[in-house]
Amino acid sequence: MADKLTKEEVMHVADLARISISDEEVEKYQVELKQLLNEVEKINDVKGYDDEILIAPWSENTVLRKDESKEMLNPKEVIENAPRHSGNYIEVPVVIGESEGA
Amino acid sequence: MTDFIPTIGVEVHVELKTKTKIFSPSVNGYGQMANSLTNVIDLGYPGTLPTMNEEVINLAIKAATVLNCKIRRQMHFDRKNYFYPDNPKNYQITQFDTPIGYDGYVEIEVDGKTKKIEIEEMHIEEDTCKSTHRKEKTLLDFNRAGVPLIEIVTKPCISSSEEAKLYLEKLKELLFYCDISDCKMEEGSMRADANVSIRKDINDPFGTKVEIKNIGSISNVGVSIEKEIARQKELIEKGESFKEQTRRYDDKLGDTVLMRVKETGNDYRYFPEPDIPYVIITDEMIERVEKTIPMLPKERRKKYQELGVSELNANKLVQNRSLSDYFNQLLEEKINFKVASNLLLGDISGYLNKNEKDITETTLIKERFIDLVNNIDNGTLTSKNLKDILDKVLETTSSIKEIIDECGIKNITDDNMIKEVITKIINDNPDSVADYKAGHDRAIKYLMGQVMKETKGGVNPKMAMETLINELNK
Repeated sequence: MADKLTKEEVMHVADLARISISDEEVEKYQVELKQLLNEVEKINDVKGYDDEILIAPWSENTVLRKDESKEMLNPKEVIENAPRHSGNYIEVPVVIGESEGA
Repeated sequence: MTDFIPTIGVEVHVELKTKTKIFSPSVNGYGQMANSLTNVIDLGYPGTLPTMNEEVINLAIKAATVLNCKIRRQMHFDRKNYFYPDNPKNYQITQFDTPIGYDGYVEIEVDGKTKKIEIEEMHIEEDTCKSTHRKEKTLLDFNRAGVPLIEIVTKPCISSSEEAKLYLEKLKELLFYCDISDCKMEEGSMRADANVSIRKDINDPFGTKVEIKNIGSISNVGVSIEKEIARQKELIEKGESFKEQTRRYDDKLGDTVLMRVKETGNDYRYFPEPDIPYVIITDEMIERVEKTIPMLPKERRKKYQELGVSELNANKLVQNRSLSDYFNQLLEEKINFKVASNLLLGDISGYLNKNEKDITETTLIKERFIDLVNNIDNGTLTSKNLKDILDKVLETTSSIKEIIDECGIKNITDDNMIKEVITKIINDNPDSVADYKAGHDRAIKYLMGQVMKETKGGVNPKMAMETLINELNK
């Protein structure tokens, strides 16, 4: 097993995180990220591990909330914490494209 | 030119009609002042935790049921990770491993045949905030952040733009009738994406898939699929290859434009949402929801036609849910349903459209409507009378009899009296009678006109026509 990630792998992760990193940082993260991965991979050695996903350590139903509204924030409070705003809208540098999530 | 076989899959996002958001008690509303419907959960503040809205689960069970899906009894949520300003948590809570519904279908009618559009899965997720792109900035409104959505994904089993449109119309009708969503594409409460690929032969593997996102209307779904098929054909015929990509439909251009070459699913690094324990769906929950499902459009159309309503009118009634619900309270009554449907879709609809009213906003309660239908059916009221009294019928609470008396409507419903008038007309118009007997059909129209004139429209035209023909043929 290689003891570091490839440059491309590190760049890809940086790209997903929307951050730019210098050449020196790439080299540093090739090693550091690999060390992190190695730590996480130890979980595969745990006995009794199977493919069934465990979400919570109990199998009781989650507590469901009634569909009733509660007090909300004032728009002024919302935009107060944003570096920039335009009217009641929060303003961010222009992003091209559409929402990715939904 | 070679013929290609298109393969189409459709993904639909529908906003659920709940009072509050999926994971927070903020109001789920549209058209309000920007950022006025939020709290710390919607804004992704550190330390906040999501709590699941019970009504979201109920509506999702309802949707799964009417879409003939199997319902998963134990499910969890997953985080879909991505960095983008529309989601300050940097992940969207969705269902990746355990969608609530799977293996369902919606039936559509294509060329007189029933086709099942198979549903791969439907899952619950949260909506993102709404971003508006300006030249040098992007504006964010978090009122939409955390609005509950269900995403409904078909198998790649749709073979034309026409089928895609029929499927969407059917889906919209079902979800709207069940109060799951208001399905307004123009307001974004229903949004459609289409996956399109083409291949030369049914035995070939699927062609390269192109996703068209955020199409704003059902007709544009049709247009954009057609355009995309044509674009792919042209590329393939030129011998050019293309990558999997995401495009959007540009209404002004009337064509699809490239958004981005697609990242792979792995880049979202899905993992189970640890803040929401398992959601268990019990038989009791499903039974409770099933009781809230109203008569569905298909059943309504069938029932109406069984009662004597024409196919055209049955379809028209179902297209207008409020009229259809009104009609549904009459189903056990002994009335002429043909007359009732004509009345609702004719003069009454005309009045409602003109006055921008819903039928429930008029004074026409069920009992008065039945009375009205019976008075038309037995000839007491003619269609001309109806036009004269319509405002009184819909705006006052007087009984139909009171209105008839008040307006001095005395129609001739007595057979002998009709006969008397008709005999007079026949005697007064020997030329027209002769024309009729010589086979000139138009003469009868003239004679009928004279009957209506003589009675000032106060006779049931159907009864008068029958009597006239009888008398002429004597």
